Amino acid sequence: MNQPRDKVINNSHAKYLRVVKQNALCSIQDLGRVSSQHLGFSGSGASDEYAFLYANYLLESITHTKNPTQPKNCLNAQLEITLGQVTFQASHKCTIAITGAECNVHINNTPIKNWQVHQVNANDRITFNQPNTGLHSYLAVLGGIQSQLWLNSRSQTSTENHLGFNSQAITPGTSIPLSNDCFSSEFHSEKLMTKTGKPQLTPSSFYQELTSTLVLRFIPQPLWLSLNLKSQAALINHQFTIAAESNRMGYRLSEIPANINIDPQQTKLSKPVTYGTIQLPNNNQPIILMKERQTIGGYPVLGSVMQTDLFRLSQLRPGNKVQLLPTSLSFAQQQLAALSDKFSFYSPALL
Amino acid sequence: MTRVNILYISENAVLLEWPEKICPIQHQHIMFCLQQIYSSLKGLVIDCIASYSSLVIYYKFEQIAHNSLNSLLNNIIQKPFEANTISANNNVIEIPVYYGEDSGWDLKDVAQQSKMTIDDVIKAHTQTTYRAYALGFTPGFCYLGELDSLLQLSRKSSPRLSVPKGAVAIAEQQTAIYPHTSPGGWHIIGQTPMEMYKAVDGQFTSTLAVGQSVNFVSINKTEFLALGGIINQEQDL
Repeated sequence: MNQPRDKVINNSHAKYLRVVKQNALCSIQDLGRVSSQHLGFSGSGASDEYAFLYANYLLESITHTKNPTQPKNCLNAQLEITLGQVTFQASHKCTIAITGAECNVHINNTPIKNWQVHQVNANDRITFNQPNTGLHSYLAVLGGIQSQLWLNSRSQTSTENHLGFNSQAITPGTSIPLSNDCFSSEFHSEKLMTKTGKPQLTPSSFYQELTSTLVLRFIPQPLWLSLNLKSQAALINHQFTIAAESNRMGYRLSEIPANINIDPQQTKLSKPVTYGTIQLPNNNQPIILMKERQTIGGYPVLGSVMQTDLFRLSQLRPGNKVQLLPTSLSFAQQQLAALSDKFSFYSPALL
Repeated sequence: MTRVNILYISENAVLLEWPEKICPIQHQHIMFCLQQIYSSLKGLVIDCIASYSSLVIYYKFEQIAHNSLNSLLNNIIQKPFEANTISANNNVIEIPVYYGEDSGWDLKDVAQQSKMTIDDVIKAHTQTTYRAYALGFTPGFCYLGELDSLLQLSRKSSPRLSVPKGAVAIAEQQTAIYPHTSPGGWHIIGQTPMEMYKAVDGQFTSTLAVGQSVNFVSINKTEFLALGGIINQEQDL
């Protein structure tokens, strides 16, 4: 038999956020369990790592200088709220940061700013409304969410909910356990960004208008290189529409242009696939693999979308437009490294 | 010289591709390289995933120069390597299977399609020592090869929404066990009472590891039930 389900509700955690109302998807996420893919587990983790890291960065900013020996906040688990529509009630005073899709968040009846840190008092209600654009919003609490670990991560994975490995899926009434150190007494919002002496980050420069066409730069694989110039040009110039069947596992795109000749490949032996792999199944509708992807796959592969563009893609909805553009490995690596540098406390060494 | 393609497929992932075939000796070389990579790259490896004829290494790209990694991989690939014969590998896992029409929903159909008796199907499935080539699809699902050519059928034209836990199934050159109830498009020829994984203290252990040798052993219904097996009717799931 499978292990008995552990509950998010855990009496040893005196401090928690309780879900009062919920009409959409909400899950606990950190940077996933990227070292368990050899066991057949998807990497999972936050869909939009930029917004995720930003929220932890904001909380890091208010604790960093005070207590440099304290464990870093960057990997702390947060709530990933998809399409808003959720209300939490805090059991205690806590310090939160909100980022990602703009949900016109309120504490009780007072609207609060996105991409900022806020103080919440005991019994305050935090309400996320449905965003007009974007998909995922992040709610980080100082000290991180303290749900049970599975494969050294707290990330919840929709395809595993029924297997009982992880903490229970979040539903109305769920209590989400917090750290005992969830409140910063020295918090002053006006000093927030200057405290670390780092230049202020501007999320608007990372995301472009979510309604315009997003160019997805990808690292090509041999299948792309085998196409003739005309086919490559047709693919690059094609505007794809994100299809309805898109989720945390993968984004499905509309069909590739009809005049592109890709040899119907023989059945291939399954190979490991990465975050961002662009698969081309027989129906000619590309699939871009996202955080809850399978670990191996047999479809022909055009290439892999660079990760910083995947964070942007994760905020797009069905009906939004994307284009594909080949790039180089070194450019993709530079972009990802530059992002890590911005959140300088975040280093792959910590993973 | 072993011909292996090295492809840098993502910021932090490199794919090694061997000739596209299911071959136990080649796969032993893949597993040999995997171990060598772990020991030479030490803390730089995030994860290594092996499949039939390929290997992906996730690594900390900011901590190793491209050229160093490339020459290190080339050295490992060209290292002398001696394959073992299966008989030299004494670590064979035996999986008890009840092959019955009530546990193997497609057993009769498979026999018909492959123009064999049910007994011959069981014999063909149990006489091979399989190699575990990859884990994937769902946690604990292990792709075993290579299936007797007489039993090789393409996947079912429409996958079932629900296949019972422990179902032993075949498709093309492969056989596998469904570790828990899940959708599935393979032909079910029996069922095992054996657990395919353990999940304890937040860690996962698969009963079958990639590279392992596996035998199926036929048991009767009484033995199956005594080992804790449960018969599922197709309409119950």
